Amino acid sequence: MRKDYQVILDFIPPGSKILDIGCSDGELINLLSQKGVSCQGVEIDQEKVVKCLEKGLDVIQGDINHIVDNFPHNQFDFCILTQTIQTVQKPDILLNELKKIGKNIIVSFSNSAHIGKITKFLFSGSFNSLLKKSTNDQWFDTYNIHPCSIKDFQILALSLNLQILSTYDLDNLKKFKNSQIPSNLFCKDVLFHLVNEQ
Amino acid sequence: MQLAGVKTAKAFPQAVIIRAITMRTITANTEYPGYIITCQEDLLLDSGKKINNFKIAYQTYGKLNDQKDNAILICHALTGDQFPAEQSPITKKNGWWDLMIGPNKPIDTNKHFVICSNVLGGCVGTTGPNDINPQTRKIYGSDFPTITIRDMVRVQKILIDELKISKLHSVIGGSMGAMQVLQWAATYPEHTKSIICIAGSLKHSAQNIAFDEAGRQSIMLDPSWHGGRYIENNTKPENGLSVARMIAHITYLSEKAFQNKFGRNLQEKKDLSFGFDIDFQVESYLRYQGRSFVDRFDANSYLYMTRAMDYFDVSDEIIANKEKIIENRVRFLVLSFTSDWLFPTKESREIVSLLNSIGSNVSFAEVVSERGHDSFLLDEPQFFKISEGFLKGIK
Repeated sequence: MRKDYQVILDFIPPGSKILDIGCSDGELINLLSQKGVSCQGVEIDQEKVVKCLEKGLDVIQGDINHIVDNFPHNQFDFCILTQTIQTVQKPDILLNELKKIGKNIIVSFSNSAHIGKITKFLFSGSFNSLLKKSTNDQWFDTYNIHPCSIKDFQILALSLNLQILSTYDLDNLKKFKNSQIPSNLFCKDVLFHLVNEQ
Repeated sequence: MQLAGVKTAKAFPQAVIIRAITMRTITANTEYPGYIITCQEDLLLDSGKKINNFKIAYQTYGKLNDQKDNAILICHALTGDQFPAEQSPITKKNGWWDLMIGPNKPIDTNKHFVICSNVLGGCVGTTGPNDINPQTRKIYGSDFPTITIRDMVRVQKILIDELKISKLHSVIGGSMGAMQVLQWAATYPEHTKSIICIAGSLKHSAQNIAFDEAGRQSIMLDPSWHGGRYIENNTKPENGLSVARMIAHITYLSEKAFQNKFGRNLQEKKDLSFGFDIDFQVESYLRYQGRSFVDRFDANSYLYMTRAMDYFDVSDEIIANKEKIIENRVRFLVLSFTSDWLFPTKESREIVSLLNSIGSNVSFAEVVSERGHDSFLLDEPQFFKISEGFLKGIK
């Protein structure tokens, strides 16, 4: 199981209502549903939507960049973005919308400032090295249009008045509380738990 | 769409059936295949009027299992009937949803017991304006009470009760059928596990009411309509009904569908006639659509059913019954087609937003098709795949 899924699964209490944005074929919401979490998925790819439907999951086909403002406010306990934020056209606008529709926001992504990546970048001289490992994307043809670092994301969250409740270094499943965050240089994959600062 | 808070619960009239004199019998339909339920009772309608004694004509496909939990109710659209599958006894062609319903088809009759009834106000066996009013012993004609989508659904509920089915596997319909499906969710959420709402809307838009009105005026301005008493006058408002169908048919297609099918091609001629005879293929096609429609459909039914669609506005009732909908965990699939401008995707998304706002999870997909509103009746493999996938996931 993906480590961000593992953290989320341990983390979200049964009976909660969650929105998984970019839920793919529904692996995470399927696991959460089995735990008694009420799940709503959003996915742009119709083939993946069909896979979710076959599993009995509730998924709305839609483009993350446009769909979120269709959701009524304060509907979800958690809005979840796993390995998705880097694909969004305007991450700041999306996070602002999520603030309105959910109480908590969970975001996981690969840290583009990780030493492995920047070393590769340094020696290759190509931005392709910053893209997701799992794809053969080129910088000009990729969904991952917004690679970001832990530091970048922290700054964005603060500027949007989102409070960082906790963060996880997903490589060793280490939890950081309050203002502590994993190392921008040495943490490969990270998960942020944010709430709206009132 | 952001909903301005939850509106206060309105009282929605429930079906009042005077049980003391209730007598319902199921018999074989003598005119068409299928069955007729004869109900000797009063049906109180949304309008406050009553229909004394009424019939429900329906057809079934597949077998009801012992647990009675494999039944799917199909709700037909404006000009549909109770014969969606197999060969239609009326047109002698494949039923209007034969691509969707049958053995090993998306709605698989090897697994499911499929029920479809002619709607209240229809003209294929269920009580409608061309039946005899038992009180006056004359044909109802324009004396038939105005009916609503909710009235239609009440009658379907009576049918389901008579078949002793307490929970349907799904209620499925497109267009006017989608309205009935949403009404089922609002009024009887405890009686279905799921809903598939195809090319539908929470309410009829102003533009759609406008098209309906143009169609109705066309019928009522035909001198052969005789104030709705054309049967007694041994005639039919064929011209009016045919023009109504032509107008409506344009709304069921798309600009691209017309362009692809006909372009500006001329009909069996090389030059323009410089007159008002048929020059273009599209004119010939529309006239044919109009003409063939009058053979199978009744003008008064057309008036009553389009009115029922105009009156449809189900949001408040869904909000008022949200606890029941959530409690019963009704699962929703909302589907739209990219080129449908009669019930555009935007309106399906409004259904999704409303359901989300009452706390219900929902599934939605938009199928890419160039063929307009009618796509739901056509061979659209992706549409079938999505529907089949959803039905498979209903536990």
